[in-house]
Amino acid sequence: MEFGTSGMLNEDGIHVDMDRLKKGEVNLGTSIMAINFKDGVILGADSRTTTGAYIANRVTDKLTQVHDTIWCCRSGSAADTQAVADMVHQNLGMYGIMNGRPPTTQTAAALFQELCYENKDRLSAGLIIAGWDERHGGQVYSIPLGGSLHKQSYAIGGSGSTYIYGYCDANWKEGMDEEAAVNFVKGALQEAIKWDGSSGGVIRMVVLTKKGANRHLYLPDTQYAVRHE
Amino acid sequence: MTSIGTGYDLTNSVFSPDGRNFQVEYAVKAVENGGTSIGIRCKDGVVLACEKVITSKLLKAGANKRIATIDRHMGAVSSGLVPDGRHFTSRAREEAASWRKVYKSPITTADLAGRMGGYMQAYTLYSSVRPFGVTAIVAGWDSELELPVDGQVGSGPSIGSGGKAKDKKYGGPGLYMIEPSGIYWGYYGAATGKGRQTAKAEMEKLNLAEGKMSLLDGVKEAAKIIYVAHADNKDKEFELEMTWISNLEGPTKGRHQEVPKELLEDAEKLAKKALDGDDDDEEETKDENKPAEADKMEE
Amino acid sequence: MPGFDFSNHTRNAALHARGVPLPKATSTGTTIVGCIFDGGVVIAADTRATSGPIVADKNCEKLHYIAPQIWCAGAGTAADTEFTTALISSQLELHSLSTGRKPRVVTCMTMLKQHLFRHQGHIGAYLVVAGVDPTGVGLFTVHAHGSTDKLPYVTMGSGSLAAMSVFETQWKATMTEQEAVTLASNAIQAGIFNDLGSGSNVDVAIITKDKTTLKRGYVKPNERSKKQKSYVFKRGTTAVLNEKIITKEEISKYVTVHELEGGETAVGEKMDIDA
Repeated sequence: MEFGTSGMLNEDGIHVDMDRLKKGEVNLGTSIMAINFKDGVILGADSRTTTGAYIANRVTDKLTQVHDTIWCCRSGSAADTQAVADMVHQNLGMYGIMNGRPPTTQTAAALFQELCYENKDRLSAGLIIAGWDERHGGQVYSIPLGGSLHKQSYAIGGSGSTYIYGYCDANWKEGMDEEAAVNFVKGALQEAIKWDGSSGGVIRMVVLTKKGANRHLYLPDTQYAVRHE
Repeated sequence: MTSIGTGYDLTNSVFSPDGRNFQVEYAVKAVENGGTSIGIRCKDGVVLACEKVITSKLLKAGANKRIATIDRHMGAVSSGLVPDGRHFTSRAREEAASWRKVYKSPITTADLAGRMGGYMQAYTLYSSVRPFGVTAIVAGWDSELELPVDGQVGSGPSIGSGGKAKDKKYGGPGLYMIEPSGIYWGYYGAATGKGRQTAKAEMEKLNLAEGKMSLLDGVKEAAKIIYVAHADNKDKEFELEMTWISNLEGPTKGRHQEVPKELLEDAEKLAKKALDGDDDDEEETKDENKPAEADKMEE
Repeated sequence: MPGFDFSNHTRNAALHARGVPLPKATSTGTTIVGCIFDGGVVIAADTRATSGPIVADKNCEKLHYIAPQIWCAGAGTAADTEFTTALISSQLELHSLSTGRKPRVVTCMTMLKQHLFRHQGHIGAYLVVAGVDPTGVGLFTVHAHGSTDKLPYVTMGSGSLAAMSVFETQWKATMTEQEAVTLASNAIQAGIFNDLGSGSNVDVAIITKDKTTLKRGYVKPNERSKKQKSYVFKRGTTAVLNEKIITKEEISKYVTVHELEGGETAVGEKMDIDA
């Protein structure tokens, strides 16, 4: 048992570790989001990974593919979220082959939720699942810390999200076209990066429509104005 | 060895030199002696019906059901060894429940048939087990709607999700028949058990592939078919058992339920009437019957 | 009383709450780096092993063999990096034998991360995984808790900040092998000179499509120089005041001698057992 720095005893002399992250664990102090738009969904994230005060990776890819057009945004422990995403990736791959049809976003959300809920006291993972499938179109699900599952029009997460609840509520519109949707995500993440010390670096996005997955990259040296890659 | 034949039929998992598994073929024989079971796939639902032969006058009428519910939206009936049928049902329920646990949504009829086909096939592989002495018919209604993930909170954007593929239909009626070999096919009309030949001949007349048969007509036809199929076995008494699954707008709202008593009695009345009036027809039906050859499905 | 006794755990927790630090495993303050170049990848490490404030080994090896074309640089708990890399190396070779293909860097990285994740950070191995396989060049970091990163240049260990400052100022997108080796070596030297946990020499491993070259002691910036003077004490430096020789025969004059019978044990040699 490794103890954090906040060693505390309760009345029964039992040690209660209030720290979600274990000592030395890599943290995704993060700004992530996913939104529904006219033709599908868009996922977005910053690129900062930290260990304490040190930036372990400044160009992290927090948008992780679990099937052709089903992706997730990861926040919390890098190790935990990578492990969970890897398991779901493997599972959905098998599902596609064995059932002869691609899994739906709901299938992915169900698998993610089961893992997050059953292991809730071992994991620190805040996930947003977003995907596009023929039957349901674009869908966004959020799985916060306890392992509950929320279907949402759009979802924001990570430490940076606290700063953009107002922005998103004020600027969100249903059924935006792709350009408006990309600008909404970019605008929100710019604010999150600006105000949250644990978020920063580049802005990554993935646009999921019937045409497949399309990656976007925006760099801070051009005020995130130019699309790269 | 000579006194007991070649010996290739004595154990499971052993091929005869010409590539047959005799144990499976014997299991099929067990099915051929069982009471007739049928399923009809209609445009707005599926009917399951079976001929329950009364083995004792001391059995309570209407008790000891043969058609089982697998999941809320799915039922199964089998012909052959009754305990094997019960085990099939039990396993099918476990599969449906496990699917719900993993995927947080109901299993489709096709997926359940696939799982059960795999399960029955496994019983042809090992010398420590024998194949199932049943052929089972599984019927279900897969929701055409977008179902929420079980346990999810909220419902997403009020205008719904964007970017759906248009003009695609999902869900609908499902009807599958699984045999002792583990083979399974989807059917418009499925029949097994003693009266399967007669039943099949009757069902072929219904042009089920056109997809015009309504569920209410299906119920009447199913009753008729069971009565017609029983005609070859008149000396034994039987009970007609029927269940159905309608679409969400229909009488069962997508659930697997027993056909209501009044409707069942009406259908039985019609069936008896048709049988009495159609006595001449019966010969004709028999002519259409082909010998066992047509019954074999090969691939 | 039957069952487990958790009193020690409670005691330890109570001590910890009062500020007593928990015992620490031996760990190597380290600088390790990796950097890709056109056609290959280079990894490098310092050679200091520490045990608390003591330099336990001035020239240890922190570059571990995984497969002929895959090598690992290790930081963290010395024993854990050693055994983890050895274990994965073994599994990877068996995997390679059974598939009949060359092992891949991603496979190695995945096996490492799954092993480390399973042990929830209790295996204190922080690794830089590098190699060339049929799919191309690979460079990853793997943290003790099982998270991984894929980057063109990486640093780990206590000297990673010093080393990263070199990469962040001098790295280029396209580099020759020699440029990359020099850059990696400079990064390690930044660790050696600016981080207390790192020191001694620079080890380098260069992996290309065709071959792997391990350069042990690529740079030795801390060679012990020849002493300017001799500090040997001359014979006779210590004065002898008097001298007396006692033979074995006359020893009883100075100490009490007891002859022991067979099987008898001397009083002073009996082991005392706590009551």
